[in-house]
Amino acid sequence: MKIICSSSGFINPVRPRQGISDILKAGFGSISLDLDACCSSLELEQYGKLRKDNEEWRYMENYEYLPISEHPTKVGCFFERLLAECQSRNLQISVAHAPYLSRDTKRTDLSEVLFDLYKESIRFCGQIGCKYIVIRPFCTSSVKGSAASYESVRMSNFEYYLRLAAVARENQVMILLENQCHSLNGHLVRGVCSDSFEAVEWVDTLNDRAGEERFGFCLDVGVCTLCGQDMHEFTVTLGKRIKAVILRDCDGQHESSLLPFTSVCMGQPQTDWLCMIRGLREIGFDGQLILGIRDTAGVFSPLLRPPLLVFAKAVADYFKWQIEIENLLRKYSFIVLFGAGNMCRNYMKCYGEKYPPLFTCDNNRKMWGENFCGLEVKSPEELKRIPDGCGVFICNIYYHEIEEQLRDMGVKNIEFFNDEYMPSFYFDRLKMV
Amino acid sequence: MISIGVQTKNVVYDAVPQTGFEIMKRAGFSCADFSLNSYLLNTSLYRFELNGFFDQSEAELEAFFQPHKKGAKNAGIEIHQMHMPYPNYVPNGKKELNDYLWNVVAPKSMKICAFFECPYIVVHGFKLSRNLGSEEAEWMQTEKFLDSLAPMAKEMGITVCVENIYNGIGGHIMEGPCCNVRKAAERIDRFNEKYHAEVLGFCFDTGHANLVGIDFEQFITELGRRLKVLHIHDNDGVGDLHQIPFTFTRTRENTASTDWEGFIRGLRKIKYDGALSFETAPVLTAFPEEMKEQVLEFIGQIGEYFVRNICWV
Repeated sequence: MKIICSSSGFINPVRPRQGISDILKAGFGSISLDLDACCSSLELEQYGKLRKDNEEWRYMENYEYLPISEHPTKVGCFFERLLAECQSRNLQISVAHAPYLSRDTKRTDLSEVLFDLYKESIRFCGQIGCKYIVIRPFCTSSVKGSAASYESVRMSNFEYYLRLAAVARENQVMILLENQCHSLNGHLVRGVCSDSFEAVEWVDTLNDRAGEERFGFCLDVGVCTLCGQDMHEFTVTLGKRIKAVILRDCDGQHESSLLPFTSVCMGQPQTDWLCMIRGLREIGFDGQLILGIRDTAGVFSPLLRPPLLVFAKAVADYFKWQIEIENLLRKYSFIVLFGAGNMCRNYMKCYGEKYPPLFTCDNNRKMWGENFCGLEVKSPEELKRIPDGCGVFICNIYYHEIEEQLRDMGVKNIEFFNDEYMPSFYFDRLKMV
Repeated sequence: MISIGVQTKNVVYDAVPQTGFEIMKRAGFSCADFSLNSYLLNTSLYRFELNGFFDQSEAELEAFFQPHKKGAKNAGIEIHQMHMPYPNYVPNGKKELNDYLWNVVAPKSMKICAFFECPYIVVHGFKLSRNLGSEEAEWMQTEKFLDSLAPMAKEMGITVCVENIYNGIGGHIMEGPCCNVRKAAERIDRFNEKYHAEVLGFCFDTGHANLVGIDFEQFITELGRRLKVLHIHDNDGVGDLHQIPFTFTRTRENTASTDWEGFIRGLRKIKYDGALSFETAPVLTAFPEEMKEQVLEFIGQIGEYFVRNICWV
């Protein structure tokens, strides 16, 4: 799994050096490039409405700015400085997001404009070695009017994507579809590919017709939250078709891209991280995990963006750790636990059979010699006699205190276990003395 | 032929039930959704509290509801559907509580339904996916519960209807049991095949669907003849407000932010011929008491609007 930072909110394409420097210093090795920086949804909505004798148009010409929607071949020029800086600093561009229309667009006449834009975006990706491009379905409203209408939405999208497939093949780029919402008179509701079975059918049919795996899926967590969806079910149905995940938080009502865990109400997150982690874990997700936090970035002062990025990287690392927790357990030939409480109990419930520990230990000497959830509870001193290559997993929230204790004892291979996002839970918690 | 109904809560009272049914009739309704769940509230159950209502014997319960049955009949109101008390399972509840809900409340509710000669009873699926780890595991438990009711349902000629409901996290509403229409359709078919009878159906709740952005037309179309009853109400997409359809807007254009056109198209497509039942009890407490009959009449007129536009004949 690769953790990627979205360029939006951090990198100014016209003056990219500082943003790229901040991203690199935070520990990111790769970004996703939002091509709507060169052609926003607002520009697309206004397409054709700027007249050439308009003062604004003359201003743009004077400053050599040409709307990319009118000049799609200039996509690469727009990002010249950003590309040069990325290349010189060895920052990869792993995913690109093609420009898109707004959720409540009134434009139904831009199919060929968008096609040219997407074509050039794909070519641009090919030139820079970017393997994936997210292209939203062209007509994002869901079933409207009649079954015939849905079928025409489906067919027109298929035709569109298959035309783009040829360009994608030439440029060795995979096109990712994305779950959509659309605006029903201001209320964001489920759109195209927000039904997981529909999304599977679209991806599989397109790949079938393309004769190769040219299409995949990008799961937008924010859209799932807006549509109140069970991300576990959604993810598991799509399985390995998911190549990228956009990690962003929002309040479920307004479309925003916030740092995960920051949209909170009554002490609880408003995004269902539990279901998301369960789902990605279950499918063994190892694709591109894109941190999309443009709105959080936007409200922080540029002076605070560097430490924000460092923290954001830590959050993304936490998600990766949670999703890949079994990889960590699998790493060791032997496992012992530290802690004989609820976390140990939860470990045994979910992982005890597959990754059986040799024993557990606890600082509470009253528990020594007892059986706890099928494990003998031993003194921490026993950790000095564990086999080589044995992992010691701390099952207690006072991680650093216990880690310090174990390091002082000379214990090696210390790991943290965590039960916040388990595959299943008990209905109760033990009352520990 | 499509009929128009409304829930009995806040209209029909135990003291003189016939009065409430007569109000319904005057307002233009021909059928009722009997709020059996009012006799054991969800708020009590989530506090692990039981009242003694369902401790009564079958005969006592029939005697209790005899005036309601007679009152409905005298007023010309058909009890078309009813709502079993919910939840049917309390996570973290004691075994005694959950056994009582399963073994006492549920079967007695079925018997009350049969006593009223009511063909449909709505139940809520168990909310267990977060504990058990998946929606599939959750459905397995709900299905066990439905299996316990199915023989009674078959014998009594009742169709148990599962309803799309929701969960909440951080004040934000997410889809809960029975929100995946393809799974619901497959499970209903499999269940009915097992019992060789139409013992399981679906209750589509517009308000719950609106909260999680479900496409009404697609959902209803996919359900087809499995759709037996409706809970019709509106909300702002944030809270489960149970308000009158067409109430909410979100933009300057002030057009409805709930997809009522999709609702109508879906019902027309499947040639729905059941009841359009409004689950709008909170509206009656929002408006002044003295306006109750006018409000009910207005709700009934919205029902007539739906009928005219759904009508596929």
